[in-house]
Amino acid sequence: MIRSSSSLPPVEANEPSLEVSEVISAAPLDIVGLLSGAHHPAAGAIVLFSGEVREHNKGREVAYLEYEAYPPMAIRMIHEILADAREKWGLQHAIAQHRIGRLAIGESAVVVITASSHRREAYEANRHIIDRIKHEVPIWKCEYYADGSHQWGNNCNCHATTGDAAKHIYE
Amino acid sequence: MKIHVYATLKDYFSSEFELQTVAHNTDELKRHLVQINDQAEQILDSCRFAVEDGFIDNDYKLKENDTVIIIPPASGG
Repeated sequence: MIRSSSSLPPVEANEPSLEVSEVISAAPLDIVGLLSGAHHPAAGAIVLFSGEVREHNKGREVAYLEYEAYPPMAIRMIHEILADAREKWGLQHAIAQHRIGRLAIGESAVVVITASSHRREAYEANRHIIDRIKHEVPIWKCEYYADGSHQWGNNCNCHATTGDAAKHIYE
Repeated sequence: MKIHVYATLKDYFSSEFELQTVAHNTDELKRHLVQINDQAEQILDSCRFAVEDGFIDNDYKLKENDTVIIIPPASGG
């Protein structure tokens, strides 16, 4: 059996690759390309947030990260979060893309772009979107350290305070 | 019923497995899972459960042919 050499990196879902690539991407995020697509004649402000892979965390030297997602729910939830933000702040654009797979230091793990008439809405909406993605969407980070050990991230610890895994406290 | 787990839960369980005992709700399911691996009790308390890609709570009546997705706290971004 001949295997295609052009097959995409494995994505843990039975989703069409086009749908997966829209908000969940196994390929490096094209920040400049996404930004280029976010201009709008009615938008006086565009805010772009990029969450980047840091070389250290809590005093430990990080070698690389791996992100895993449950795409069937992650894709739908990101679309819902973006739609909510578009409506709440009257945005011209709300775009988000999260990377999965292995990421090197300095790579972008997540990009959020908001375009609105004025900067206030673009900033507020952008912050809201990234906070909800980090707390709610089934995407997980595993940190691999320089000493060879690894640890799954535990960003969202809200259940310890709220007593409910479905209730979150945003910054 | 079929169980699929993700992220840190894969340190405690196979990523996909069949639960031979029937659990009627998420609390029962948690008890069965703790019997399989009691080290997972704390992390399971912080997890959410989903069936057919929608979150469920303990009021949801689990069925024998359900596939239950167990979702640890998010750590994306």
